[in-house]
Amino acid sequence: MTTWSIAAEGFQSPGPADFVYPPLFGEGTFFTKPMLITVLGSVAVAVFFYLAARRAQRVPGKLQYAGESAYGFVRNSIALDSIGKEGIKYVPYLATLFFFLAALNISGIIPVLQFPATSRIAFPLFLAVVSCVIFNYVGIRRAHGVGRYFKQMMFPAGIPWPVYILLAPIEFVSTIIIRPLTLTLRLTFNMFAGHLVLVLFILGGEYLVFEYSGVVGILAGSISLLGSIVLTFFEGFVQLLQAYVFTLLSALYIGGALADEH
Amino acid sequence: MADDHPEDTTGAARRKGEADAWGAFGLIISGVLVWGLIGGLVGAWLDSALPVMVGLLLGMGGGLYLVWFRYGRA
Repeated sequence: MTTWSIAAEGFQSPGPADFVYPPLFGEGTFFTKPMLITVLGSVAVAVFFYLAARRAQRVPGKLQYAGESAYGFVRNSIALDSIGKEGIKYVPYLATLFFFLAALNISGIIPVLQFPATSRIAFPLFLAVVSCVIFNYVGIRRAHGVGRYFKQMMFPAGIPWPVYILLAPIEFVSTIIIRPLTLTLRLTFNMFAGHLVLVLFILGGEYLVFEYSGVVGILAGSISLLGSIVLTFFEGFVQLLQAYVFTLLSALYIGGALADEH
Repeated sequence: MADDHPEDTTGAARRKGEADAWGAFGLIISGVLVWGLIGGLVGAWLDSALPVMVGLLLGMGGGLYLVWFRYGRA
């Protein structure tokens, strides 16, 4: 985080360089902070659900209740609502996706970590590709064949055939490329922008108070620092919301692939 | 899916609406992207800018038509 240092000549505003971390254990190693956050997030989610599910009782304790509510939320509000009865089969994937993303997103406002790992595009991109493979696989199974699946997708009934030349490539690209791409970009840049705003408010406020100083600096810096507290809560909301949106759209794509049988 | 109640603005119906909005967005973007690219390639081959414009307009038209076809009909 060398760019965070405040140079003598003035304030250096945060930028994309703040998202590039050097290896944690010195030169020549590969393990970086986003990777550490990913490992910690996965372990935290796994431990939470393991403890919640261990020795499950008919009358749940506090932890079991929390685990069941969290899982039930994905089951009822995401899977069953957007896929329907068949959605129950996809709850394990959707729940894993949601809580993994939520953990990686929320790490952006957890003290010490303070970096949303999902603002590095590889994480959302990989998960979007997984979702894409799943909903296409589900669609191919439902259509009983690769050819029939793509035929249903690219050649909807009720259009005069010459128009297919114009429309078929559009349908193909919108389903196979644009869907995972929008999933990826929506999540990545929500996290990217949110982190950038927080860094700017906190470092800018610090610079104003301690370096720029004077009445104006201390006043403006204090406002900026207070604003960063409000923005931190707002970011937390956005982070959970984006995990939800990613999971919801994955579920809707699966639901759409199951419903497409013209 | 229980989305045959148009007055139901909660749950499944609203989610269907969200997905449709993103679907429409994706169709228009893909239309412009695919046919703009094809137009660009043809333009590079013929050394002319006209095919790009024709491709972009065709793609936009095709995307809009698909939006209507998928989501706009009663």
